[in-house]
Amino acid sequence: MEEIKGAIALIGYGLAAIGPGIGIGIVVGNAIQAMARQPEAAAVARTTMFLGIAFTEALALIGFVLFFIA
Amino acid sequence: MDVLILAAEACDTAKEIICKPGNVVELFEHKEALFSIGPFDFTRTVFLTFLAMFIVLAALFFAFRKPKVVPGKFGVVMESLVAFVRDDVAKGTIGPEGSKYAPYLLSIFLFILVGNLFELTPFINFPLTSRMAIPGMLSLFTYLIFVGVGFSKNGLSYLWGIIWPKSVPIGLRWLVGLIEFVSYFFLRPLTLAVRLFANLVAGHLMLTLLLGSGWLFFASVGDIGVRAVIGLPWFAFGLAIFVFEFVVAVLQAYIFTLLSAVYIQTSVHPEH
Repeated sequence: MEEIKGAIALIGYGLAAIGPGIGIGIVVGNAIQAMARQPEAAAVARTTMFLGIAFTEALALIGFVLFFIA
Repeated sequence: MDVLILAAEACDTAKEIICKPGNVVELFEHKEALFSIGPFDFTRTVFLTFLAMFIVLAALFFAFRKPKVVPGKFGVVMESLVAFVRDDVAKGTIGPEGSKYAPYLLSIFLFILVGNLFELTPFINFPLTSRMAIPGMLSLFTYLIFVGVGFSKNGLSYLWGIIWPKSVPIGLRWLVGLIEFVSYFFLRPLTLAVRLFANLVAGHLMLTLLLGSGWLFFASVGDIGVRAVIGLPWFAFGLAIFVFEFVVAVLQAYIFTLLSAVYIQTSVHPEH
């Protein structure tokens, strides 16, 4: 039973990483586009990008913590 | 040398291709205290907490003891850090009244930065912020500050504005209000702490696994002969992750400070 539990936790973490992976890609991609189009607004775009990454990443990290708890 | 001890137990370099740490859960358990005074246990984490505090205090003291018109190299670095937190993070996010919160933001930024960089410091090799108590406590401070500021600046209309948002159609207000309430008062402090904690635990585990495996394979070259080459890719990968973890350590300190500033900002100007 112990082995099965470990395997399920691994699959759970893998599933939890899919969404944030796509999300961070979208956030960073659009931030780069914004910086390329308006280099003078790069500082604002960069700060907002980090905020967006932080919020998106939280889901994957909660999955990572649950992997240890489960 | 926690790292190597963790990885060394139960690893058969003649059969395995990677040495995973024997007991990962040990990271989350309360370690045996080195000594105790009354009810207070002094563990390695406690010493590192005090060490981080003294490093921050000493850095600030020596940089700003005798302010000069043209500061030295160290003074320039510290001044740019302070100016960055005050102008970019505090004033840039909160607005003109942000300089009031700059001392708090600077304190947590420097403390988390030093605590994170312990992960990469030789012979310490342990990120202070990978113990849940420390990010938990820091996020509790931020929580108390932003809730306190919200109530003292806006009174009860702060709470009312969250659970009964005026900009939402009336039929959906209760639902949005409920989500906002849970997000403001429960998810914010939780995710703030977990983000820092989980990032540093992940980095610490990765470095343990890769550098520990590499070292163990190299160390047992006498027993296993040419199989010790397996250690080479692990060690190289570990060094690459080492550089990456430096970026993560600085970035997570910045993100924690930035999010604290953003949360305080939503309490100072709740309408935005």
